[in-house]
Amino acid sequence: MNSFIKYSSILAIAITLLSCKKFLDVKPQDSVSDEQTIVDKTSAQTALRGTYRKLAADGYYGSLFQTFGYLPGDNVQWTGSQSVIQQFITHNIQADNGNLATVWSAIYATINSANHVITKVPLVKDATFTTDDRNQIVGEALFIRALSYFDLARTWGNVQITLTPTLTATDKDDTRQSTQEQVYAQALADLNAAEPLLKAPATPNPVRANLETVWALKARWYLYRGQWSDAATYASKVLTNLKNYQLQQPYSAFFAPASTVATKESVLELSYSATYTNGHRNYWQPPANGGTRQWAPADALVTLLNDPKVGGNRSALIAKTSAGLWYGNLYYRSPATDPTYLIRIAELYLIYAEALAQQNRPADALLPLNAIRVRAGLDPFSNPDKAAVLQAIENERRVEFALEPHRWFDLVRTNRAGAVLGVTDVNKYLFPIPAQEVRLSNGKLTQNLGY
Amino acid sequence: MKIAIACSLGLLLPIISRAQSNPVPKSGTIVQHNISLSGKIIDGKTLQPLEGAVVHIKGTTHEVQTNQQGDFFFRTGQKVPVIYQISALGYQLKEIYVDNPNAGNIPLTELSQQLNDVVVVGYDTRKRRDLTSAISSVKGADVVTLPVASFDAQLQGRAAGVQINSNTGVPGDGVFVRVRGTTSINADNNPLYIVDGVFINNTSLQTVSTGGRSASVLADLNPADIENIEVLKDASATAIYGSRGANGVVIITTKRGNYNTKARFNVDVSGGVAWAPKLWDLTTGPQHAELINEFYRNSLADAQAAGDAAGIAKYSYLPFRSKTDNPTATPAPRGLPSEQQTYDRLGEVFGNAGLQNYNLSLAGGNKETKYYIGGGFAKQESILKPMAFDRVSFKLNLDQRVNDRITVGTSNSFSRSYRNQGRAGDGPQGGLLQAALHTPTYLPEVNADGTPARWAGFDNVQVLLNNYDVNTTSLRYIGNLYLDATILPDLKFRSTFSLDYDNYNESEYWNNQTQLGAAPTNGLATSAITQNTAWINEQTLSYRKRLGTNHFLGILVGNTLQSNTIAVTSAQGTGFASNSYKNISSAATRIAGQTWTKVNLASFFSRIDYNYAGKYYLEASFRADGSSKFGDDTKWGYFPAVGASWRIKEESFLKNDNRISDLKVRASYGITGNQAGIDNFASQGLWSGGFGYPDGSSGDQPGTAPQQLSNLNLQWERTSQANAGLDLGLLDGRINLTADFYYKYTNNVLLRLPVAGVTGFGNINSNAGEISNKGYEIGINTINVAGKSFRWSSNLTISGNKNRIEKLPTPIYQYNRDWIIMQEGSPMYSFWLYRQLGVDAKTGNVIFEGAQNGKLPVSARQVMGNAMPKFFGGFSNSFSWKGFDLGVLFSFQYGNDVYNLNKFFGEGGGTRDANRVLMADQLNRWQKPGDVTDVPRLTAYGLNYTIDQNSRFLEDGSFLRLKQVSLSYTVPKSLSQRLRISQLRVYVIGSNLWLLTNYTGPDPEANVTSIQTVQGLDLGTPPQPRSVQAGINLTL
Repeated sequence: MNSFIKYSSILAIAITLLSCKKFLDVKPQDSVSDEQTIVDKTSAQTALRGTYRKLAADGYYGSLFQTFGYLPGDNVQWTGSQSVIQQFITHNIQADNGNLATVWSAIYATINSANHVITKVPLVKDATFTTDDRNQIVGEALFIRALSYFDLARTWGNVQITLTPTLTATDKDDTRQSTQEQVYAQALADLNAAEPLLKAPATPNPVRANLETVWALKARWYLYRGQWSDAATYASKVLTNLKNYQLQQPYSAFFAPASTVATKESVLELSYSATYTNGHRNYWQPPANGGTRQWAPADALVTLLNDPKVGGNRSALIAKTSAGLWYGNLYYRSPATDPTYLIRIAELYLIYAEALAQQNRPADALLPLNAIRVRAGLDPFSNPDKAAVLQAIENERRVEFALEPHRWFDLVRTNRAGAVLGVTDVNKYLFPIPAQEVRLSNGKLTQNLGY
Repeated sequence: MKIAIACSLGLLLPIISRAQSNPVPKSGTIVQHNISLSGKIIDGKTLQPLEGAVVHIKGTTHEVQTNQQGDFFFRTGQKVPVIYQISALGYQLKEIYVDNPNAGNIPLTELSQQLNDVVVVGYDTRKRRDLTSAISSVKGADVVTLPVASFDAQLQGRAAGVQINSNTGVPGDGVFVRVRGTTSINADNNPLYIVDGVFINNTSLQTVSTGGRSASVLADLNPADIENIEVLKDASATAIYGSRGANGVVIITTKRGNYNTKARFNVDVSGGVAWAPKLWDLTTGPQHAELINEFYRNSLADAQAAGDAAGIAKYSYLPFRSKTDNPTATPAPRGLPSEQQTYDRLGEVFGNAGLQNYNLSLAGGNKETKYYIGGGFAKQESILKPMAFDRVSFKLNLDQRVNDRITVGTSNSFSRSYRNQGRAGDGPQGGLLQAALHTPTYLPEVNADGTPARWAGFDNVQVLLNNYDVNTTSLRYIGNLYLDATILPDLKFRSTFSLDYDNYNESEYWNNQTQLGAAPTNGLATSAITQNTAWINEQTLSYRKRLGTNHFLGILVGNTLQSNTIAVTSAQGTGFASNSYKNISSAATRIAGQTWTKVNLASFFSRIDYNYAGKYYLEASFRADGSSKFGDDTKWGYFPAVGASWRIKEESFLKNDNRISDLKVRASYGITGNQAGIDNFASQGLWSGGFGYPDGSSGDQPGTAPQQLSNLNLQWERTSQANAGLDLGLLDGRINLTADFYYKYTNNVLLRLPVAGVTGFGNINSNAGEISNKGYEIGINTINVAGKSFRWSSNLTISGNKNRIEKLPTPIYQYNRDWIIMQEGSPMYSFWLYRQLGVDAKTGNVIFEGAQNGKLPVSARQVMGNAMPKFFGGFSNSFSWKGFDLGVLFSFQYGNDVYNLNKFFGEGGGTRDANRVLMADQLNRWQKPGDVTDVPRLTAYGLNYTIDQNSRFLEDGSFLRLKQVSLSYTVPKSLSQRLRISQLRVYVIGSNLWLLTNYTGPDPEANVTSIQTVQGLDLGTPPQPRSVQAGINLTL
């Protein structure tokens, strides 16, 4: 072999190896790698929107987490074939229930998104990215994280708290389990951190969090924790902004007709579009309307809503098929763009009423309570007895939020689940931690008592 | 592309320069002096010269070998006449008396045809007797006869070690194929398919839902163009394909012409009909009503006993009571049981299906050119209306000798497959079979006002049949160009460039009559165009030389570059003005989507083989693969293999023993890899852009969110395999036995490993498991009668495989309700169920193993049953008598379980009331003390009908199937020649004519989904059709 061949071969092999390296480097076109995500103002904003999308995902506030609030109450009956749903209605939830695992993952995915924003945005080097803009983005992410831990606290209680973005699979291996108290405390800490970063909106935009949204969630937080004075204070802070928040007349005006979005009823609602649809309608609507009617309003609820002295114009929440079957009609749009009504101003009226009544001011509580009743087309409630007012508030919440995720959590926090639902085993007030999570946690997670 | 060319240049350049710098000696005459005796040894059949034959003059020590031209020369004092003893590898020993110094052509007879069959191995061919590895061969003629669209479905029972499950009776649908078991969890488990050197895509491109199953892209190939199929099984055979070889390699060679042959024109036309041999037994309307009433009565009694006020209220009135009896009470009266009608929806959707097949071909060649031109049309209707599959295909194979050193050629197949699709599988909406099977039989098909009735979430069957509009057109091109160059007589170079392109165009329109398109959706249309483009460039350099008398050496080196891109563009529209508007541009709401993914693979490989005197064989290969799927440090995988065989027959003590016509032992060991099937960007940490949010500013705004955890250590899945085999021929080749035993162990199994939720991710792509497969394959061919006019031969294959998940960090559950589990210590495809021990004859209550005080904890759930058979195979017999040929093929599986989900839904004991059909088996329920049955008492209470994972629905799926019977008659030559045709054959073929099984569903070969980790769930798929076809084959 002559030297020409020898050198040309060596050269060829060198070219080969170099070009092979390039040939074997293929980059995706619809995703980017971790390092390139939050690098400037625009990418910080897109990451925050992604966090809202996670919050609005099917597994979280789109549908499944919402079912945790209403299925175990007494407003919904099971009509489908899947026992994963039935277990919630009959208060016999197995740790291997698939929906438990789905919701758990969806909430932690939201937290991880929020953690990225909270951690990375302050470090972004972008001269055009003002402190105000940064504060707003971090504040909103803190709010979403607060809501996530609040939901984890009331659903499972004893969960892991993580405040840093996950970069590798082993990042969270050492995350210990916290108590329900600690998880609630984390939610409040995040709200407290968000409060100074956010501003009250100049014009209402309830599809994103702002200072008043933080106050509204704080009001709910204090209500759940029985800190009545704070609950009343924060509720009234929101209620007094009549420019931004008003009860809509009639009741159905906050969700109908189909073009209705972001009314002044909403303190926080999650928005959907033809591209990002909300699957919730599918569970409620009957087959004739393109749904599955996996569950339906219970007979008792139908009676209540149709009673002009109880439901009033809230009977608009339900409708009847041609075959005479009742179905929930809060989520009904096509394409499925129904918003998720996360905090309505009506809730703050009732939080305010409950907090006042609990502070032994039942007569004062009548005013906010009756605001809700009158809007529904009912006679005002006039018995100023504290127990009677509290019962009236409980009853009102049942129909006012009939198809929203409140009933179960309300009965648990007021310790009424035993009397109303017959759930006397207090262990059942917390759901079982998904069996798979216990298994995957390397001993960090202990199953809740009673499961 | 430029990079790619540079990447392969490295191998080409030295070759080209070498080719230029070395003048090739002309093969010419060799001048011989003083020759006294000579002759030429040729193959008796092909008349080709035989090199290396040993010629011995009897009674002397004189012995010479023939040269490349088959000639031998003695320089000896011996004078004619002499007796030559001639031996050659693979030929019968011959003694011949010769009285001429130049003996002329001496033909030798082959020892056994089978041993000399040419077998395609990786990048080369071998004679069967020279193999060191385990390879099954199937003739093309064997895969054209059954009324299934793709050739792979026809391999059932024909190739040892290849397990085929048809899974559904829908023509053109995907088939479950495993060569020597399942080796992976998330990476692909299907074999690599190679058509004329093109590594073709065998992953379905389907994006629209048809109930969980998906169409097979292998159906794009016309089986009539296939010459033969080789299945490479052990590592020694597959390791040359490195990362693509872990699940076996199926090499398909299509038909080509022959040089110096006059054109042969062949026409084949057949037609037939298929029907469902067995369907489900359902209750009649009155029976359904009686059962529901009984359910209400029993539930009321149980509610009263439990003091459940809500239950008492719910079950107080029987639903099937006179319409005047408490008409306002809940549930509303539906009339007395005896007043109920029975509606046979199954009869409406199942019917006779037409089959048509037309194939034309023209093949021939002259001195420099050979060609094969084929055209085909096949149409197969499904027994489940309105589904159908048709395919038009063209084929052109061309080879051109440029000069005596260079040949160029091309293979091309182009096809258009059209599918009229339906949803046959899971899910109520649009589900054709579910609507027909699962709607209670008493419910009428029309409402009182004459409009079509929809029940329980299912569509109306007639509406579906009349309005179904889901179809797919696939345009597929598979082709290559090759150049063969003989650089030196023993040194050959080959370069190929191949392309596999598929344009897969799906459209789906659900008008407002169907559930999916009904108001408020007002019509739902989906269109998706998927383009799969794979190109491959390959260079091989092979050297084959006989060294001295007994040493045979072969060396192969080569490289491959592959690139595969899949781009999907899709659109969906809802809100159509009326059913007349079907295009998405007329929809009120439109959504579009686009995805793109790509993988590149670069490989270098080499193989060396050596044999001594056709007795001792040794082969070693090595391949390095680099994949773009993995991180920089783990990109390259290295896959070595060795194989050896000893052909004992060639030893002197057996050589002349006619009882043992062949005896060979083989052994091999090697490592193959896998990276197919996992996401192309599986190792990268990714944020996805699909997380927009309409944040109030104006419409949707873009959003990003974490999508995938990075795993830079992600690497090749590696399967090591040891194989031992035996080939035995007895009674002069009348009985041939091939037996193989193997052990495969897969490390670094690629899987999406669940991670703790606290990370914010569900799983991470990992190498986390280990899986073993061990098994055996036995194939026996016998020629039972070999008379002049009557011939009878048999072929039996039996294979067994035992799979075990050796390591898995955490159990992984599959399908809804976790019916299937993957966990350490159990085999893949294990069911995870609560074991029903029986029904208490006294109370009628179900008895579950592990139940505690009427409750069933998760700890009672156990792994039981498996969807894989203990053994499987086929038994075929062929008879020929004068012009008649009869072929009979049985296929069988033993020991596999099927979870009968149709029955699970249809035996709900009344808990699903008007929402689901009740099957006839529900009538066997416990009714009174003393009843012995496994169907518990009807009630809403207790565990009787509330456990979704009841082992009662797990059934034995073993079967023996008369897969095929074919009878043909070839018109005698004397007659056909008078008609000026060279051959005329008429035939009839029956398929699936008989089925023996204990399975209670229509067909144990059923699976609801194409998910590769799920098997044996029978829900919503039609059974295998039974069919009869008749045809005529004409050659001019």
